[in-house]
Amino acid sequence: MAQAPLPEAADASVAIEPLVRISNLRVVYPTGSSEPKEVLRGLDLSVMPGEIIGLVGESGAGKTTLARSILGVPPGPGRITEGEVIFGGRNILDLPEPELRKLRGRDLSVVVPNPRAELNPTIPVGKQIAAMARIHLGVGKEEAKRLALAMLKDVQIPDPVRRMDAYPHELSGGMAQRVVIAMALICDPAFVISDDATSGLDVTVQTQILALLSRLAADHGSAMLFITRDIGITAHFCDRVAVLYSGEILELALREQLFLEPAHPYTLMLLSAFSHSPKLRDAWSVPETGLRQDQEKGCRYSIRCPLAQPVCREVRPPFAQLKPGHFVRCHFPVTPS
Amino acid sequence: MSAILTIDRLFKQFPIAGSRQVVQAINDVSLSIEPGETLGLVGESGSGKTTVGRCIVGLLDPTSGDIRFRGTPISGRKDTRRALTGKIQFVFQEPAESLDPRMKIGVSISEPLIPFKLNRAMRERRTLEAIKLVRLDPALLEAYPSELSAGQQQRVGVARAMVTEPELVVLDEPTSALDPTARAEIIDLLQRIQSERNTAYLFISHDLSTVRFISHRVAVMYLGMIVEQGPADTVFNRPQHPYASGLLSSVLLPHPHLKIESSVSLKGEIPSPINLPKGCFLASRCPFVIERCRIEMPPRTDVGPGHSVHCFRHEDVARTVPASDTFTVFMAEAERILGRKPVVAPIKLAEPANPVDTRT
Repeated sequence: MAQAPLPEAADASVAIEPLVRISNLRVVYPTGSSEPKEVLRGLDLSVMPGEIIGLVGESGAGKTTLARSILGVPPGPGRITEGEVIFGGRNILDLPEPELRKLRGRDLSVVVPNPRAELNPTIPVGKQIAAMARIHLGVGKEEAKRLALAMLKDVQIPDPVRRMDAYPHELSGGMAQRVVIAMALICDPAFVISDDATSGLDVTVQTQILALLSRLAADHGSAMLFITRDIGITAHFCDRVAVLYSGEILELALREQLFLEPAHPYTLMLLSAFSHSPKLRDAWSVPETGLRQDQEKGCRYSIRCPLAQPVCREVRPPFAQLKPGHFVRCHFPVTPS
Repeated sequence: MSAILTIDRLFKQFPIAGSRQVVQAINDVSLSIEPGETLGLVGESGSGKTTVGRCIVGLLDPTSGDIRFRGTPISGRKDTRRALTGKIQFVFQEPAESLDPRMKIGVSISEPLIPFKLNRAMRERRTLEAIKLVRLDPALLEAYPSELSAGQQQRVGVARAMVTEPELVVLDEPTSALDPTARAEIIDLLQRIQSERNTAYLFISHDLSTVRFISHRVAVMYLGMIVEQGPADTVFNRPQHPYASGLLSSVLLPHPHLKIESSVSLKGEIPSPINLPKGCFLASRCPFVIERCRIEMPPRTDVGPGHSVHCFRHEDVARTVPASDTFTVFMAEAERILGRKPVVAPIKLAEPANPVDTRT
């Protein structure tokens, strides 16, 4: 994996404007009872131009809800109740649908898992990629075709000229994923969201796709929000990493800080799951023997946290800065001894 | 010690409807498992590892080859299979799909005991033991699968396999649908049960990092063949097959400085198992390829105690890849980073409005 250097951090006196700024984003899902379930709990996150930011979470943390809500379309019956997503000086969530449609695909794009479900099975893939360029860039048929072919070469599909005319079912999973990446990047988007895009792939193919994504993002100067359940990927691939739990970010730090000096007990618990040391795991986790319960008040993680104190179950901790660049939502963050 | 399971020259082909061609899912697989041992079977999708597991438990009949349990041939024989009821068990990948959603957990766990015609008290006692073995609250015996988390469902899957006190359990990707924490719990559980009962495991997985820690020996499959087989630490520290080396280098450990070095970067994808190439199956993707590889299949070569590889250039592969035990280094790092004693003392922190640029 490319050990990508951090995007040049200008000196502190020059403020860099974030490319995308998500503030206080709240999304609820209706439930059978009267109380709707809050799936994103006032989420704040800023993405700087050209950076790859990883977002790690277990299933049910709200990863896909976040990916879709940033584009103004929360999945299923979900509803955005509060918050804003500022991109290019405008709040995306306030834009009328036609305006939003222009942004999606052109300036903002998503790479999804399960690429075959995303492609139209009755149209050759070359045409589908070219259609993106025709719609969003307004280029002619021939130019669009030329761009599509160049993009297929970029994503390193073997024999791209012939693959232009292939139908999705004729491609393997890895090749279909490359086609979806080609569609996402053909308009040179400023911001790409990758929603677990490599999870269905075999590891050797995943390695190739990750290398490809990071090279293309660098070539096109795109920023990326890389959502995954595999924390290992983010250790090698992202500039900054955010840890999502139950709809809120519990820790956000530079890659090196997060992995070498993790501060939130949840992050330590996640990492201990990879340590293959029962001793370390016992130190950071509370065994789950009975039925699951949710903690609504205070810190949502307190129910699973071995360090939890009475205050944790009552008062929601603030998202506070521990060190420059290192943020944590915890009353009792773990510090190097 | 005599092996509990031996497989000798196993082949499995699937016919393709409306065609004379066949899918060659398993091509000449031989392996053995000792009592109390874990053999890790790794490979990408389409490598045939699940098919091997299914042949062992009798869900599939091999096209040819020999499968023996404690020396007795078992494949395709109903009578010996019946005598072995409960001795070989299976744990599937998707816990939610392998449990009947309308069956209470207790009923699911006790189901494998039906052929033993135990009395009710005995059956209940064994069921209770099994749920305690996997560290679940016995109250959950009355729950339905949908009330449990995925990790708990998979623990039920393990309890159901263990209730007959098997000697061999085939675990087919038992943790790949699970979150990391649930995965670690299942692995701990399996290792504890193994040390208590001396159960042998065939652990089928594409998760190499887990395989490294749970397995005594490991077999790497590619296109229906075991390309390298040997003691887990030997194979992981110094792989001699280019595919094993390439596969290992794709492991992403959650540590920004630790990467498994390899001179092999695998391009492209696993070819179709319908028209297998002549010669070595990896030739089209292998950076070590020579003319001979495209013509003849490299034979099995012994390269160390219990360590064998199918590659003409295995010496060159071993030479170019620096021997290293990245996994052990990683464990020591984990100890250093996570072994901090937590101090529960509040720290005064300033709260920013929105953490914008945090790099300065």
